[in-house]
Amino acid sequence: MRRTRNMAVVALIIASVALVVVSLVGGTERVDLGQAWREWREGLPPAQSPMLGIILDQRLPRTLAALIVGCGLALAGAAFQAMLRNPLAEPYTLGVASFGALGAWTATILIGAYSFPAYLLGLPTIQLLAFVFAELDIIIVYQLAAHRDRISPSVLLLGGITMGMLANGGILFMRYLADPNRVVMMDRWLMGGVDVLGYRPVLTLLAGVAPCAVILLAQAPKYDQLGFGPELAAGRGVNVRLLQATTFVVGSLMTAVAVSVVGTIAFVGLIVPHIVRSITGSRHRLLMPLSAVVGGGFLCFCDIIARKILPGETPIGIVTTLLGGPFFLYLLLRRRFTDWDA
Amino acid sequence: MTATLRAESVSFAYEPGRPVFKSVDASVSGGETVGLVGPNGSGKSTLLRVMCGLLRTRAGGVLLNGRPLSSYGGRDRARRVAFLPQAVNPAFALSVFEVVCLGRYPHMGAFGALGPRDKEAAERCMRDTEVDHLRGRDFLTLSGGERQRVLLASILAQEPEILLLDEPTSALDIHHQIEIFSLLDRLAHNRPGGYGILVVTHDLNLAARFCDRILLLGLNQSMLAEGPHDSVLTEPLLSRAYGAPIRVSRHPETGAPLVWAEAPREETGEKGDTPHNCRGASQHGGAP
Ligand SMILES: Nc1ncnc2c1ncn2[C@@H]1O[C@H](COP(=O)(O)OP(=O)(O)OP(=O)(O)O)[C@@H](O)[C@H]1O
Ligand SMILES: [Mg+2]
Repeated sequence: MRRTRNMAVVALIIASVALVVVSLVGGTERVDLGQAWREWREGLPPAQSPMLGIILDQRLPRTLAALIVGCGLALAGAAFQAMLRNPLAEPYTLGVASFGALGAWTATILIGAYSFPAYLLGLPTIQLLAFVFAELDIIIVYQLAAHRDRISPSVLLLGGITMGMLANGGILFMRYLADPNRVVMMDRWLMGGVDVLGYRPVLTLLAGVAPCAVILLAQAPKYDQLGFGPELAAGRGVNVRLLQATTFVVGSLMTAVAVSVVGTIAFVGLIVPHIVRSITGSRHRLLMPLSAVVGGGFLCFCDIIARKILPGETPIGIVTTLLGGPFFLYLLLRRRFTDWDA
Repeated sequence: MTATLRAESVSFAYEPGRPVFKSVDASVSGGETVGLVGPNGSGKSTLLRVMCGLLRTRAGGVLLNGRPLSSYGGRDRARRVAFLPQAVNPAFALSVFEVVCLGRYPHMGAFGALGPRDKEAAERCMRDTEVDHLRGRDFLTLSGGERQRVLLASILAQEPEILLLDEPTSALDIHHQIEIFSLLDRLAHNRPGGYGILVVTHDLNLAARFCDRILLLGLNQSMLAEGPHDSVLTEPLLSRAYGAPIRVSRHPETGAPLVWAEAPREETGEKGDTPHNCRGASQHGGAP
């Protein structure tokens, strides 16, 4: 049993890496890796190495963006699920992603139309405002659902989804008011797209997501303790309040940075930890790192579907929503929670 | 040196103006089992939470080995004091073995890896509470009593000096109740530097049989009595604590106190000087 599990883990990792590679190579234009390698070996100037140019300037940033965002959203999902003790919690169902996007929209409009500074305290205003909005959302949703030691699973999800609808309403309202020239650019945020240009957005993503991922991964043993309720965890020496603050701040920061660059991408944090959990069980020391890896592969997979299988260049957020919606309903149907409506 | 956990005139209120208890003393030391009894809502679970450092008292303090409990770091404290809550509800599926291993948390390194010593401790504790045959089972699929024994194993795997157990036998069958209390008895007495065990129970007869001392919390926000069972489990004290007539006699074979509550008297009821199960039987026999 242990062996089959280990093999499944290895298979998942290999599949994820393979998906990343395929997403790098596959696209509207065919990519010849051998030719790119030769071009690189010969050290020709950019004008004479078209294949290398396609890979380095278009494919690589896009794949990296999908990889980082997938990692981040899957990890944020696993952390929120553990902290809120609810397997359906994730950045999108909690409204964190949508509120982050609302923050990013607000910042963009403030900067564009009201000449607001693009940097505050040395930090990019868009990401900063996205984070503040996302953090606000998770605090409100938590306050709605928590009573003493318990968190009502249904209030949590109803609150989260309602908050998400509110944020989307706000975004649509701003879109309606916005300058039509700006709308096209901003629509991508609404539907989620990893078609980033150049490495600046990739660096923003990396700077935001990587430290957050390290912090969340370090909490894994504490999330295990929390699985049996805050009292038992606290008795074992876990500082539950600190863990909660860390999870909320870091999880929403990670989500906010992701959506501020690529828009709302739904359900990654739901689907990925579920697939991984069915193989590893609920020990977060294994579940979380593997979710990060599979999350990267999964989003690359969705990007392949968006580019190659669906017509045109379908925004990736549409793909994950179409995959994740039915998955969410399936989980509702199975409803294997222990404290469903406590 | 034996470990001592002592609550000194602690008061606690969840909501201001509505104290659960005021100025209560309680202590437990290595090598003794102490029973904490009292009616529902008298604050037994609350007192345990206070003594584990989960709730901050408004007045009074809790000392572990003479030092304020709050001066210990979380995991440092957990290596000395372990707490089994009255109710836990797992959120995710875990196997029995994994649940027991969770108890090793205060001893684990930063990355949460389990060493051979951790696994040994988990194995031993599973044998002690007779759950090793369940090791691969999903905790969520266990019966209530099986769950309690697995949780007790995971608390024991913590290898503390002091155990605070909130109703560890409330869901156990008559055989396993005795098994667990005998186990607690052995853990406290059968080795030098044994555990100090503070156990909440509603079974006064088990408490009388196995506990060196008994603490009786009343509904009047105070500790009504403290001492060996024959000084605490008396009819006047118990009747006052529970606000209802409680009877105490001797077990015909073991000679231990036998405590039972009188059923509320009805108009046609007979004198309540027999245990209510006998009374039920006679009533049934007397029915037309
Ligand atoms: N989290 C809480 N917030 C507010 N009041 C609480 C809380 N927990 C318990 N109480 C109240 O404090 C009092 C003592 O509760 P506690 O759980 O300590 O009683 P207990 O002696 O353990 O009872 P039982 O035998 O039923 O387990 C009760 O009146 C209860 O309603
Ligand atoms: Mg209680």
